[in-house]
Amino acid sequence: MDKDVKVDPMNITFARVMEVVTYLGLILMIAPGVIYLVTGNGFVSTADAVKYWDKPAKVFWETTKGIEISGYSWFLGNLGYMDCLSIVGIVLLALASLAAIIAAIFKADSKYKILLAILVVEFIIAIVRPLFMHVTGH
Amino acid sequence: MDWWFWPLCLFLFTLVIGIIAPIAGVGGGVLFVPLTTAFFPFHVDFIRGAGLIMALTSALSSAPQLVKRGLANLRIMAPVVIVSVVTSILGGIVGLWVTNAFPKGKYYITIALGVVLFIIFVVMLTSKRVEFPEVKKVDPISAKLGIYGAWYEPSLDKVVEYRITNMPIALPAFAAVGFIAGMFGLGAGWANVPVLNLIMGAPIKVATSTSMLIITVNDAAAAWVYLANGAVLPIIVIPSVVGITIGARIGAKLAVKAKPRIVRYIVLGVMLLAAVLDIYKGLAGLGVVPKVF
Repeated sequence: MDKDVKVDPMNITFARVMEVVTYLGLILMIAPGVIYLVTGNGFVSTADAVKYWDKPAKVFWETTKGIEISGYSWFLGNLGYMDCLSIVGIVLLALASLAAIIAAIFKADSKYKILLAILVVEFIIAIVRPLFMHVTGH
Repeated sequence: MDWWFWPLCLFLFTLVIGIIAPIAGVGGGVLFVPLTTAFFPFHVDFIRGAGLIMALTSALSSAPQLVKRGLANLRIMAPVVIVSVVTSILGGIVGLWVTNAFPKGKYYITIALGVVLFIIFVVMLTSKRVEFPEVKKVDPISAKLGIYGAWYEPSLDKVVEYRITNMPIALPAFAAVGFIAGMFGLGAGWANVPVLNLIMGAPIKVATSTSMLIITVNDAAAAWVYLANGAVLPIIVIPSVVGITIGARIGAKLAVKAKPRIVRYIVLGVMLLAAVLDIYKGLAGLGVVPKVF
């Protein structure tokens, strides 16, 4: 019996890229995250985080750091802190699908090239939208 | 109380979720958000952010292997997520907007979460699974896109080929599921699988695997909403992800020996309890019912 299944190249490329980016993301999220939890020092100290984690995100940041969060500068501008570095790992995880979709476009037939390109555009809008539209409700 | 008490509880809690979820055949995210909302002191903004990252990490860890084996299929996923990515982002925006725009928004979300969990409970209790559905006629969209696939099925010792159907009916369903996933930070396997299996006619293994693939895209898109609003805290995310990852490995081994039916009923019971608690907690917060605890 033939146990070899011919999976189309678009799927294989997608899987390979997703696998690599996921590994990188997991390492970058967990290693600094554990250091942050062990040392207790970060952009927001564990003591402050515990004190205010029952507040809405907006109030949490106003109280702990006196800032209003809008976009990604809150962690990208503080990469010297382990908690913010850990967030970069999460960013990589959130980018894994996008990277895999972009790679798969090169192996896709013409119909799927269009579908995957639309997905890429949607993803990019999802990423840049918060820079222009702020969700606070006020 | 020392600062590490709740993160440690969270780690142990997600470890247990990780162990029982694969045995019960449910996703960890669907247990994490409602139960953490009911029993932990974190604000629901951070719980949803952590739930989303947790569901995303779990899906990303398993999806590539499933794709390589032919079980998860990008050809099914692509048209579906074009719709659901948009709605999952909208869900994330609406969820955070409600908690920020209304003084008691947190309680509205908690009640809505309880109601959604109750619906999930009913869906999981009543939905049937068809191992190899028969697709008699492929719909025009699926035919034009040439959606097909195949995988080697060890129980039959042969390669099973499949096609799917009813794409026009499935797309609105995925749109609704995407919105709920984004709004509450849930993985959405509980809804994806019945739609793929019962409506689109995908074999059950293909449905569960492709559902993982859909979650990798939907939750990744919604994650940006939570990241951009500071609703992702490593002190909550890291213990959760590590706990559920270790637990899932133990659970996958135990699943071979355990009695899935009993565990499934226990999990369904816990889900029902969490639904009731979330609705009660929300109503108590609004002052509709007295606060007991």
